[in-house]
Amino acid sequence: MGTVIEIEKLSKRYRNVLAVDDLSLELKKGEIYGFIGLNGSGKTTTIRMMLGMIKPTQGTCRLFGEKVTLSHYSLWKKVGSLVETPHSYPELTVKENLDLFRRLRLLKDVNAVDRIIEKLKLTAYANRKAKHLSLGNAQRLGIAKALLHGPDILILDEPVNGLDPAGIVEVRELLQDLAGNEGVSIFLSSHLLSEVSLIADKIGIIHHGQLVNEFQTGQLESLLERKLLVNTRHNEAAASALADQGISCLTNQEGQIEIAERHLLERPERVSESLVRNGFPPIHISVEKESLESYFLKSIRREGR
Amino acid sequence: MGYLAAAMQTEILKIRKSKMIWITLAVFTLAPLMGGFFMFVLKDPELARSSGLLGDKAQLFGEASWPAYFFLLAQILAVGGTMVFAFVTSWVFGREYTDQTIKDLLSLPTHRSIHVIAKFIAVLLTCLLLSIYVITLGLVIGMFIGLPEWSQSAAVDGFTVLMVTTGLTIALTPPVAFFACYGRGFLAPIGFVILMVVFAQVIAAIGYGEYFPWAVPALFSGVTGTAGGLESLSIFLVLMMTVAGVAATVAWWLLADQH
Repeated sequence: MGTVIEIEKLSKRYRNVLAVDDLSLELKKGEIYGFIGLNGSGKTTTIRMMLGMIKPTQGTCRLFGEKVTLSHYSLWKKVGSLVETPHSYPELTVKENLDLFRRLRLLKDVNAVDRIIEKLKLTAYANRKAKHLSLGNAQRLGIAKALLHGPDILILDEPVNGLDPAGIVEVRELLQDLAGNEGVSIFLSSHLLSEVSLIADKIGIIHHGQLVNEFQTGQLESLLERKLLVNTRHNEAAASALADQGISCLTNQEGQIEIAERHLLERPERVSESLVRNGFPPIHISVEKESLESYFLKSIRREGR
Repeated sequence: MGYLAAAMQTEILKIRKSKMIWITLAVFTLAPLMGGFFMFVLKDPELARSSGLLGDKAQLFGEASWPAYFFLLAQILAVGGTMVFAFVTSWVFGREYTDQTIKDLLSLPTHRSIHVIAKFIAVLLTCLLLSIYVITLGLVIGMFIGLPEWSQSAAVDGFTVLMVTTGLTIALTPPVAFFACYGRGFLAPIGFVILMVVFAQVIAAIGYGEYFPWAVPALFSGVTGTAGGLESLSIFLVLMMTVAGVAATVAWWLLADQH
């Protein structure tokens, strides 16, 4: 699969603020890249540089191997985008807004508007003025504008923002279909690792403008910390007994016994047997997996400046 | 259809669907009506006084005639037009920032200058149509009042002053477009044009109006009592503002970071 998005050592400085710092990443055809970061971490600045709206202080961004510059505007024939909160012309209806962009993109197929309205489930709102749309439907209209011309690359900034749970699932399935069946490469930003991990092939975490962590979504399970949590009637004494038997453990702030040894995570019954032998039968034992949010926060605390 | 035609078509659609066009039409309906009212009163002050349209202490100057009415309309276009055309321009350019739709335009596969040119053409057409509306309404009102001294030469002179005044006023809109883009909205361009109108008053009052572009349309329209007869330097200065405004706006779209 060829690389369709290639960002190399991209930086953007505003006076004393380094909004994006030496960021490099790439995305292959048909892949979905989840770009995660807190508010103000540099996600939107990166996206704006990818779309040529902001000039980088350093570094380059290439789409389909072509450098993003003012003169390479023909690139945008193959790119659909949604930047920050979607906005449309408020005095125009949903259909008029989409038809306006159909004309501006010189698309001859007049049915393209009706098709995208149906695809995004906006039929009931087709003749409603954009200023009267709910946030969720305004978001759908924004996505419809991005998809209208059948782009090969989609760059979406927080695409599920404002959508209800059903809308989130619909958009997720739509994006998965576009990537999986039509080979569309999708770069999407979010501040929710849990949401992005359901859809992305690759995830990058940005913090203070730096890409602090990048991994394949398939690797995520192995990256999450797991631990065995044990409760007995006398946790302090039980922990001491386990330590005497060579089992490395500690008691956490809640007073529970925590064990992180990998071989015991696979065989928790050995801990139970040991506790029973020493007169501390467990009343609770479970393997707890680190939450995605916790992993995300840990990533930015570890790597962030 | 090419990109420019498509961009112009969509700009005109946006104007047609906006409230802005109705507000400007309302302003440009009131202005000739007020001009017509003055002409009516001037034509027969005693009738106006006896019918209660005019207070006892009212002091009126001027005369009711077609030439006078043409010059009054020209002044409406020069002074009112400066504000109204600036409003149109700031809306056409500034609304993309206030409505945050600029990012959608920048993501289109066309050179950014095409959008700027389409917007300027849309502003030009809108302002021309508004001027034609004022002139037509003025003519209807003038005929309704039955103003005296209509002649072919008076009509030719009157239309010439009206058209040149309109042209000069529209020629001063491009700098407003730049301030709408630079200020990313409506406040900066409206503030700029109010400042220019105030400066124009002061500079014209001290006798240097012909060197200040924003005073030129009003001077040409006859605000000082005699219409027409501009120095070519004045027209050159107005055209310089047009060129500078267009160049600065295009440069802003091409070179500035668009947040």
